[in-house]
Amino acid sequence: MKKLLSLLSGIGSFYRGNTAGIIGTTLVAFILTICLAAPALTDYDPNKRVARGHEAPSAEHIMGSTRAGKDVWSQTLYGGRVSLFVAFTAATVTSVVALSVGVSAGYFGGRTDEILMAITNVMLVFPQLPLLIILAAFLGNVGPLIIALILGLTSWPWGARVMRSQTLAIRNKEFITAAEIMGESKFRIIVVEIIPNLISLAAGMFVGTALYAIGAQAGLEFLGLGDPTVVSWGTMLYWAQSSAAFYVGAWWDFLVPGTVIALVGGGLALINISIDQVSNPKLKTGSFLKAWRRQNATVEAKRQRG
Amino acid sequence: MAFILRRLVFYIIAIFVAMTFNFILPRLMPGDPVAAMFAAAGGKMPPEAILAYKEMLGFVDAPLWQQYLQYLKSVVTFDLGPSIMLFPTPVTAVLSNTLPWTVFLAGFATIMSIFIGCFIGLYAAYNRGGFVDRYVPVFWQFIASMPQAVTALLIFFVFSLTLKWFPLGFGFNPDLEPSWAPSFLVNVLYHAVLPMVTLMLSMIATWVFTLRNAMVNVLGEDYIAMAKAKGLPSRRIMTHYAARNAILPVVTAVSMALGFAVAGQVFVETVFNYPGIGQLIIKAVAARDYPLMQACFLLIVLCVLVANFIADILYVWLDPRLRT
Repeated sequence: MKKLLSLLSGIGSFYRGNTAGIIGTTLVAFILTICLAAPALTDYDPNKRVARGHEAPSAEHIMGSTRAGKDVWSQTLYGGRVSLFVAFTAATVTSVVALSVGVSAGYFGGRTDEILMAITNVMLVFPQLPLLIILAAFLGNVGPLIIALILGLTSWPWGARVMRSQTLAIRNKEFITAAEIMGESKFRIIVVEIIPNLISLAAGMFVGTALYAIGAQAGLEFLGLGDPTVVSWGTMLYWAQSSAAFYVGAWWDFLVPGTVIALVGGGLALINISIDQVSNPKLKTGSFLKAWRRQNATVEAKRQRG
Repeated sequence: MAFILRRLVFYIIAIFVAMTFNFILPRLMPGDPVAAMFAAAGGKMPPEAILAYKEMLGFVDAPLWQQYLQYLKSVVTFDLGPSIMLFPTPVTAVLSNTLPWTVFLAGFATIMSIFIGCFIGLYAAYNRGGFVDRYVPVFWQFIASMPQAVTALLIFFVFSLTLKWFPLGFGFNPDLEPSWAPSFLVNVLYHAVLPMVTLMLSMIATWVFTLRNAMVNVLGEDYIAMAKAKGLPSRRIMTHYAARNAILPVVTAVSMALGFAVAGQVFVETVFNYPGIGQLIIKAVAARDYPLMQACFLLIVLCVLVANFIADILYVWLDPRLRT
């Protein structure tokens, strides 16, 4: 109970005066909620033909219909479930791999560090999208789960480097030495002593990867590398493109999924910026900077009074 | 020099990893890899051409390590055979037609966004907590967080299709004969405007944040306080003292950004029908032209590695501590 309260107050202090964080979280939470509540918000099956092809938005189909006569609003809601699932799965996989690789390399050092970092650095110089394209092409039309896994397993190197350098920074602190002298196992030191200190970085990495994964998945599917029978924001863009929605003036067909992707992306980016500014006070600006200057001024005044 | 040599060895290893990846991937395909790879070739190619192809890709009756050596040999000697999709044009010819377009587009977009982004970042750090510092970086971040495919589609829809300010695609007007004449070059630039702007929109934010944050860190150093104490004008402190040191993280970030630029390239070229390598790799995927696809991948990796190496040399030039 006490832990829960301190967690809540921690979350509260993160959002206090943090406009970017509040707007970002609200955006993402709102879209997540409407996607989860899809059955309550639309009566149409996203996979069924319910209208004429490329019907303009009307009372009956508030976001119009696709070339194949499917309801765009219903597809956006149900497709969002798939897209958000891919984004968060990929982000989870990336965070787990980056944390394990980075922390092991930083904590164990020596040979382990050399080998892990060599792999990381090679992975890091490879341009990711061409790699994904080649993998997807050889695997054939890949479903959402496979996309989530290959996105997760290819985007960890940068995070691993950040985690490693942070681990190096704390591994020589007294509390780690104390734990070692007390005879704590290495596993326990990593999980109980080191990882809690990396949580804010890991949160930033999670949000950043989710942001990347939303875009990458939409991109891969837009290019026709996904499974076109699964409804997601990316395949909606793909069908809009391949049914020449632009040329026939059916703007809603790609503008609706495009806008939703952009909103989720923007929301995640705002959260990411605010995590950066909270976890690294040096980078503060705006209202953060004002609050910091005020606090600094009181401290200075106290010191001078002496 | 030791630094440069070490990097060079690293890049050579990276190229080998890419080639090995290319070698292993077809062999992991379910069923008969050769049959699957050349299914699209069907009636298009004479059997002896397919046979030569197989040999070039290392599909010979020999132990795996000999197949691997055979494959490495044909890649290193640029013996990549004909493209299946555009038979009988050799893969190397297809690639050399598309590469200049991509290098032009990605190179210009990257360099220009570095300049614009660094300028905004410098200004934001210079007026810390001011209007530009508070809203402009966040604005660019918001723009950059839109997936490149979506930005490209939106810009294409608004400026090419609806307003008709810019052409609908391709690198130049197909009625014109490619040459170095000014009228043709202007036409090329005119066709490159929208793809370039799209790429830049997604890249500027990186540089704004990199330079601003590096500046903020550098401004806390003692020598800045010293310069202020000497009474130097703050503009001079910004440009000659702070920015000079804050530029190093920018050079480091180039390697990250290049991969990103390549990715943007694929979407932008596909949407704007631009004749570069990003569009080629997608066409090759659609036509199941595996050899061309793999060659595109290798070439993109090679370009990124070369650009990284240039960034390394620049780094040594900028940071005297590495010159030993």
